Amino acid sequence: MQALIISDKEYQTEAFHQLNQLVNSFLIRKGFSLTETQIDRRDPAFCMGCFGCWVKKPGECVIDDKMGQINQIFMNSELTLYLSPVVFGQFSANIKNTLDRWIPNILPFFETRPDGSTMHPARYSSYPKQIIIGYGEELSDDETSLFLDITMKHRRKVEVLLYQGDDMEITETLSEIELRKVGVNL
Amino acid sequence: MNLETKRIVLVNSSPKLTEESTSGLLNNLAAKQIKTAGLEIYRINVRQSLFQGKTENDFEAMLDADAMVLTFPLYVFCLPGILMRFLQDYYTFWLKQQDRVKNARVYAIVNCGFPEARINLEAVRVIQCFSRKINSIFRFGVMIGGGGMLQGAKDTPFMRKTFSQLENAFQLTMDDILNCGQAVMDNIMITMNFPKKLYFFMGNRGWYSTAKKNGLKRKDLYRKPYFQENVNL
Ligand SMILES: Cc1cc2nc3c(=O)[nH]c(=O)nc-3n(C[C@H](O)[C@H](O)[C@H](O)COP(=O)(O)O)c2cc1C
Repeated sequence: MQALIISDKEYQTEAFHQLNQLVNSFLIRKGFSLTETQIDRRDPAFCMGCFGCWVKKPGECVIDDKMGQINQIFMNSELTLYLSPVVFGQFSANIKNTLDRWIPNILPFFETRPDGSTMHPARYSSYPKQIIIGYGEELSDDETSLFLDITMKHRRKVEVLLYQGDDMEITETLSEIELRKVGVNL
Repeated sequence: MNLETKRIVLVNSSPKLTEESTSGLLNNLAAKQIKTAGLEIYRINVRQSLFQGKTENDFEAMLDADAMVLTFPLYVFCLPGILMRFLQDYYTFWLKQQDRVKNARVYAIVNCGFPEARINLEAVRVIQCFSRKINSIFRFGVMIGGGGMLQGAKDTPFMRKTFSQLENAFQLTMDDILNCGQAVMDNIMITMNFPKKLYFFMGNRGWYSTAKKNGLKRKDLYRKPYFQENVNL
């Protein structure tokens, strides 16, 4: 069982190290083998919004860098964890870039979800379970609720947790989540 | 009305390299109105700023601005990574210059590919959060659904209504800047005057025809390059 952990090299705070260690040992206890990748300022490059991943090289980004490997490991993992600093209530630049460059894994077409909202269909028949853990010090209520809304209001099957030093809370919440591949309701 | 010339920084944050962007088009429209009103404009392109070493000058202009208008596309339901990079770097710069703070007013213009304008709300909230961090006054956002059509169908009659809504939105923005508006303002939502089913149909057909131009067959669009069996981990 493979799990991928994506984190931000720029925000290696004390809270990050504590969280990273906590998550690592939790997943190892659960029998996962871990691949960790840390995202830096200019590696991988920023998405160029060209949609080449849909109409030139379907399923792969046209930029030949680290992100190709990350997406490949992503698609072949049971679980992907994003450890993201909360910046202005959002993912940090580095983590957000990996999310932007994740779109090769879905199809370009439009579809309507049961609640009437629009989404792109899945490219694959299953995806790793995705869990986002936001961390930061002295986050305001506005920031934490925005961080949750960005994902919870718009995406299905993606879990969002916040870490502000409470190890027990994270372990307990993780224990309640089914840590295996999910279907096509993105 | 305050007669002193206001300085407006107009930031185009589309990550696109060369291709014309919807954000660029929106900024051109806004710039035209700003010029007519006699305000001073400083324009920034985020990608050029970051990669052509212009951030120092651009950050100075942001610090001195009376108003900042941030124009960008919605990327996975929030800000593109490249814009976050620019704003994070600006925040680091700002922290060292706090004594020069001018309490600029901040506006967001967000466009997205899906027809629903309301999905841009969280992105607007991120800009609001950023404004609070830099002690600036966030005013309101203009949220645009079906943004791709602004370029794709700009000369067709059914886009007239949308362009006049945009003009009104930019006028409101300018009046707000000029009059130092205080009243609480709602975000402005602009949706294309076009049936969703037809929009989807045309969009989907567009993907096939672009792929064909790139020498691909219809079924190639569905490739699964990372399918388990192709991979040796
Ligand atoms: C990586 C990526 C992610 C995107 N995510 C969304 C999204 O979540 N919702 C949406 O409606 N459109 C999304 N879009 C579409 C863009 O918002 C849309 O194409 C927009 O018009 C581009 O504006 P620009 O030309 O100013 O860059 C995404 C596009 C890209 C490349």
